[in-house]
Formats: sequence, C-alpha cells, structure tokens
Amino acid sequence: MDWLRSARQTFDLQQYVVYLGFLAIFLFFAITLSDDGFLTTRNLSNIVLQTAPATIMAIGFVFVLSAGEIDLSFGSIVAVSALSGAVVMQDYPMVAGIAAGLGVGLAIGWFNGFLVAYLRLPSFLVTLATLGLFAGVARSMTDLRSIPVINDAFTGFFGSGSLFGIPSLILWTIGAVVVGHVVYRETRFGAHVIATGDNAGAAQVSGIKVPRIRLAVLMISGGCAGLAGLLYAGRLQAARYTLGESDLMTVIAAVIVGGTALNGGKGSVIGALVGSLLMGMLNNGLILMGLSVSDQMIVRGLIILIAVAISLRDPAR
Amino acid sequence: MKTTVHGGSDAPVLALDNIHKAFGGVVAVEDFSLELRAGEIVALVGDNGAGKSTLVKMISGVHAPSSGTIRLDGEAVSFSDASVARAHGIEVVYQDLALADQQPVYMNMFLGRETVRGPLNLLDRKAMMRETQALVDELDVRIPSAKAIIRDLSGGQRQGVAIARATHWARKLILLDEPTAALGVAETAKVEDIVRTLRERNIAILIISHSLDQVFRLSDRICVLRRGIQIGVRETAKTDKNEIVSMITGVG
Amino acid sequence: MRFTRMMTTASVALMLLGGLAQAETVGPQGETATPSKTVKVDDDKVSMLKEGNYRAALLWHDQSDFVNAVTAGATDEFNRLGIEVVATTSAGFDAAKQRSDIETALAKKPNIILSLPLDPVTSAAAFKEAKAEGVKLVFLSNLPQDYQHPTDYAAIVTDDLFQMGKQAADALAKGMGGKGTVGWIFHDANYYVTNQRDNAFKTTIENDYPDIEIVAEQGISDPARAEDIANAMLLKNPDLGGIYVTWAGPAEGVLAALRANGNKTTKVVTLDLSEPVALDMVKGGNVTAIVADEAYELGRAMAAAGARALAGEETPPFVVAPAVTVTPDNVEAGWKQSLHREAPDSVKNAGK
Repeated sequence: MDWLRSARQTFDLQQYVVYLGFLAIFLFFAITLSDDGFLTTRNLSNIVLQTAPATIMAIGFVFVLSAGEIDLSFGSIVAVSALSGAVVMQDYPMVAGIAAGLGVGLAIGWFNGFLVAYLRLPSFLVTLATLGLFAGVARSMTDLRSIPVINDAFTGFFGSGSLFGIPSLILWTIGAVVVGHVVYRETRFGAHVIATGDNAGAAQVSGIKVPRIRLAVLMISGGCAGLAGLLYAGRLQAARYTLGESDLMTVIAAVIVGGTALNGGKGSVIGALVGSLLMGMLNNGLILMGLSVSDQMIVRGLIILIAVAISLRDPAR
Repeated sequence: MKTTVHGGSDAPVLALDNIHKAFGGVVAVEDFSLELRAGEIVALVGDNGAGKSTLVKMISGVHAPSSGTIRLDGEAVSFSDASVARAHGIEVVYQDLALADQQPVYMNMFLGRETVRGPLNLLDRKAMMRETQALVDELDVRIPSAKAIIRDLSGGQRQGVAIARATHWARKLILLDEPTAALGVAETAKVEDIVRTLRERNIAILIISHSLDQVFRLSDRICVLRRGIQIGVRETAKTDKNEIVSMITGVG
Repeated sequence: MRFTRMMTTASVALMLLGGLAQAETVGPQGETATPSKTVKVDDDKVSMLKEGNYRAALLWHDQSDFVNAVTAGATDEFNRLGIEVVATTSAGFDAAKQRSDIETALAKKPNIILSLPLDPVTSAAAFKEAKAEGVKLVFLSNLPQDYQHPTDYAAIVTDDLFQMGKQAADALAKGMGGKGTVGWIFHDANYYVTNQRDNAFKTTIENDYPDIEIVAEQGISDPARAEDIANAMLLKNPDLGGIYVTWAGPAEGVLAALRANGNKTTKVVTLDLSEPVALDMVKGGNVTAIVADEAYELGRAMAAAGARALAGEETPPFVVAPAVTVTPDNVEAGWKQSLHREAPDSVKNAGK
C-alpha cells in the first residue's frame, strides 16, 4: 500500500478540489443542459478551443506565482505580440510572424524580469506599470486598427487547422501542458523555481541563482503570453489591441483554483489546465442555460468565490 | 605552530591568518587567527556584536575579508560567493535554518543540488528519497519520512534536517550558527547528539553558541571574541566557565 | 453609457461620412436608408413563424442602458412572433470573447443572431460558422468585412446619426431664439458614431441658421476633462449663447462649469439620455434639449428583419432607427420612446 500513501502525500486535499469541482459542475451542466447541446462533441471541443490561450497564459502564471512573483502585464503582452505577429506577416512569411510574436513576448518578459530580478523592484508594481505601458503600446502601434491575418498556413497552424483530426488549438494546449508540467515538476529548474518562491533566502544560500530564476519566470510568462497572442491571432484571423485584456481575472482564478499558492512555493500545471477548463465550462454552460448577462456574471463570480475559498483554505491550520 | 593533532593530515583543514574586516570605517573583526583540524569542534563565543557572524560569513564566502588569508588544507583561497565556498566542501547551518518550508525533506536535502537522471536530466526523486532516508537513519534524525513536508516537522526535527544536509554535503568543514537557539531542552540534547556523531566523520566543526553549557559539552577548544578583537583560545578541558565569562565580558 | 458603443471601428463609418454631403445616412454599399418603422412582419407570416419554433441569440458587444433597451425591443418582438431567445451574451469589448460567444450560442442552434460585430476585421472570421450554417444575421451599426447582402446577412440596423446631429442643431437654435454664438465640443477621436453626429450638428447650424455662428470649437477625448474645456471656452466667450456637447457624459462636466460660473443663460444641447442632464433640463437649467435614439425601436426592427429573412421575405439592407428630441415638455414620453422604460423618478418629480 506504499503507492497509496505516496499518492496521498503528493496530492493533498487542495489539489483535489479543482478536479472534484470540475467534475461536479460538468455533471450539473450535463444533466441540466442535456437538451441544449452541452454534451455535443462540438460544444465540448469548443470549450477546449476557447480556453486554449488562457490555459497557456495560466501555465506561465504558475511559474511566476510559484517563484513568489506576480505578472499582471501578460494581458497587454498578448495584444502586443499578436499585433506584432500580424503586422510582420503582412509583408513576411509565417516564420517571421511567429518569431516576432514570441520574440516580443520574451522581450517584454525580460524587461519585467530585469526590473524585478536585478533592480529588486516588486513585481506587483513593475507589472502593474508595464500592464498599462504595453496596453498603450498596443493601442498606438496600429492606431487602434485591427490587423487581418490572411496567411493560411498561420491561421491553420495556430487557429482553425487540425492534425489527425485533432484541432491545432487542442494540440497546442496538450503540448504546452506536457512541457509545462515536466519542466515544473521534473527538472532542477522547476525545483529551483518552487524553492525560490518558498524561501528565497534558503534558495540563495543553497546556491540557486535566485535573480536568474526571477528573470526566467517572467520571461516564461511573457513567452506564454506571446504564444497565446499568436493563438488568438490564428483563431480570429486578425489581431486587435483588446486581445488578452479581459483574461487577467480568468487566468488568476484558474491558477488559484488549480492549487497554486498566491505567495509562492507550491503549484500545479495540471491544476491550472483543469482550472482554466473549469472557467471555460462555466462561461459556456451559463450562456447555454439562457441566463441574462448580469446573472451569468453573478453566478460565475459566486462559483469562483466558493472554489477559491476551498482551495485557499489550509486544512492544516 | 602545529600543536594539537587529532589525526588526519598535518595541515589544518581551515586556517585563518590575521583576518581583518571593516565595513566602511567600522571595524568588525581585527587581526583574527585560528586553525581547525579534522574531527575537531571549536566553539566561537562572545557577546552580541562581537563579530562572530561576520567571521562565519567570511568563512562561508558571503563576505570577503579586508585583509588576511583563509587557507583550506594549507592552500590560500578566496571565495567570490557562497557557492564557491560550498564547492570547497564548506557547509553552513544557519540560525534561521534556510529550509524551504513547503517542500519535502528530501528536496531540502538536495536543495540547489538535485540529483538528475536520464538524457533529459529529469529529477531522480527516488534516488534523493533513498539517500535522504539512509542519512537521517544514520544520524538518527527522527522524522516521519523523507517525503514529510518541512512545515509539518518540529523545530528539533527541522534543525536535524538542516544538520543532516550539511553533513551530507560537507567534506571539510561545517559552520553551525546557533544551532539550538530556538529549541527546547530535549530537542537541544538530540541536536547535540547529532553534532557529536559528526566528529566521528572526521569533519571540522566551528560552532557559534550563546550557551556556555553547550559549548563545554561539545567543544574541544573555545575561541573568545570581544568587540571584534580575538581575546584568546582555550582548550576546553583546561579552562572553566569563570575564565571564559571574564574573557567575554572583559570583567574580572 | 452609450459612449462604449462608439468604440467600435469603422467600415460603415466611411460610407456614412460619404453620405454627409447628401445630408442623410447611407449604407455600406451606398444603400439608401430604410426607416425602421417600415420593417415589419406581416400578420399572415406571424402564425407561420410561431409554428416554426424558431430560436434567436443576442450576442452583444457590451452591457449598457442602450443595449438593455435594444434587447428589450428585440425580445418583445421575438415573443410576439413566438421566437425563443435562447442565449444572451456580452463580449465586454473583447473580440476573442465575442468569437467564443458565437460558438457557444451555436450549440443552441439559433435561427437568428442579432449582434454588434466588435470590429469588421475580427468579426469576419468569427461569424463565418454562423453564416455557413444559414443563421440569419442581423447586425447593429457595424458590418464584418466583405459580407454581402442578402446572402451573408439579413440587414444592418443603426441609428439615424445624421438626424440626431441635425435635431440637436434645430433644438439648440430654437432654444436660442434663432440667433447668437455657439460653442461646439466634439469628440476628438476617429469614431464614426460621434463623428457623424457632431458633423451633422455643425453643417446644420452653418447651412440652416445664418444668424447663429460657431465661435468656439474644442475637441474632447476624455470626458473627465469636459469641465476644464468648458471653463476655458466660457472665459474666452463670456456671452456664449449655446454649447453643443458630443454626448451626455462630458455634458455633465460642462454643466458643472456653467454652475460654477453662475451662468444661467448659456443653452446646452447634448445627445443620449442621462439622468443628471435630464434633471437639469426639467428644473429649468441650462439644458434646452437632449436628442436620443430610439434604441427600443432599433431592437424591434432588428428582430423583425431577422424574422422576415426567416420567413423568406425580402429585407432592406440598411435600416435606420429614428431620433427623438427630448425637451421638458415630452421628457416622460421621450424616455419611453427611446429606452422603453419610465423616466427616472427624480426627473419625473422635478417636472411636476
């Protein structure tokens, strides 16, 4: 029964909450909305497609929070990256657009990270400022205009395409979750990220290059936001300055509900995936229930509140 | 120069020669010299602000001395930071433990030096757990399991983990900075037992402690600092508390 | 806040601006505007539609007073026709959310979708699936790029923006006795809704009222700065007869400036209903009139256009809903006509 004990220790109660909550809400919608198309393959795959960009942002956010930092700016990075990719692809091939989108994300992440890691400014304030800064950049870079993406290869690769019948957005989600999970749980880097968030002083005296970790997590967050921007651009076949703007709260909620500690040292990439799917499923199900927009917001808010309350409550204290 | 020999090589593990350290214009340590040999426990005592912590930080590479030399096994070294000192086989057990609270014991044991396997360099959790278990068994640190979370352990257990970690990695020298300051009587005794077993591993130990009782129980020699000045070194067996107290206070 | 709708950009805009010279609103492909009241579902089609058990989805860009009134108009008309509203969403100005909302709503297999496309570029791809499934699309104010009538969509319905500006000019001129000087506070941004209305006001004054002169022009982009702008304008032109303010939000700031200056003579006209502005008007303050669109009628016309398309009848490509001038005399009726609800109690009581 050794495996059972080890399973109990690796999965504490808080990490179960998101899975149980997901299951409960799924069953609720499956029963009440059985005649409203909730269980159709198309609707279920829609939920995954719609949450793909948020899931990828959430993975970056798990790394940032685990290291004891926060990144409020990723929504703006999404817009700037998507616009950069779209603008570049008006004149250059897809590869250049992808490089521009990801490059811009990483560069802004590096900028955040440099200020946080080497100038020791609090990440909350740095990224609050860059959130506004790059929201302004997104608005000014195309003068509020939307930029169409007519590169079919790109829109297939990042949006509407599929491989072996699996939509590309689902493949991106799976790929990002697998890579994110392995890096987070199974590498020295992941362990150092968690240790930095748990006790930066201990990490430092144990030889972990703490500033380098802080820089790295903010770059991961920027890179993930850049990728999310490309996915949005592929899906909408256009880029717009509002992309990513409204994802901040959804992503934070998904990550916290998914068992990542707000103050570092503990997290889960798989939990963030399930949290993100939970948020998408809530959006979807509440619309299908035919609720008014205000009622949708109220119910969604209450459910998130309950989920966060349960996942943040520490059973040990 | 070489007087006492507790076995091992003839060059001392650690030799501090005429170490001087000033922060700006403020002198923290003045002309300090000390030698530590393998298997020897030396206690560093003195009032708050006497310069003990500054000395520990210089030996562990956090600060560089303003002048003077540090020699390891007879060779002069200069540490650019803590990781270099660690690479030379010096480990520190800090007053505030330096453990990551939400992580399991085995991850703390290997913090910053995790064991990896395979072409992808993935963490080898099994190997780390196994080694951790073997080590805590050997040192008789009683914890529920190598997978126990630090936060769930008692203060004594945590200090046991911290010392076990230092023991695992130290090849030459362990610096103990107030290892029992936060512990109760029983837990203190337990930690002292662990420290005694380290002597048998032929490792040099420098211990800072406020408790003279503890110093007399554990150490072979006692070095007294007052306001940055080295007052003297005594063999524990040939001195008594009164002498040490008067050296610390400068009274009597 | 109606202002939010103005943030939609602009394929229709250029056409509308082109229509300025003709002094009326013209559609995207140069269609002439069809008054909304002519868009009706014939009685003989009503029973047919009722038997069809049809469904409609309302996929809005945001939430506001205006959207609520449009929703009410559309829902009432759909109810009359036995068409069930199965989903209502708000994208909160997020193009990606709007796309998701469309996909989600399609799971409920609607026959009609009423929507304000957030912008022509992103919405072209977003509505593609709905279009392919033969859903009747009725758009509010904005059109996805390269969509063709009647194959791709049933109709665009919008405010009669030119009329709103013109009626504001007429109302202010009336309040000023047909002569005097005017300050023109326009929306300094490239948004066709405000640009249309602002320019229609200006042309009307210039062409129809020879004794009224626009002596001060000032653009505004941040409503919070309205008070400063009005103060500066009054400082330079102390005997200003009237001020036009591009919409109700900044008009509240202009009123604050007038009150602070003890000015009781300068007349103010603005667009879109707002409780504080209306209160000033009924209490005999500076506000002489408010011009509003008929949002409820707009929603009704959208629903009717969708239903007509469903019944296989022709739909006019471009429909405009009328504007209504609200003065102290018709404030209660005007409120009902525009937003289809009672005027706020404060406004009603102050008028008595």
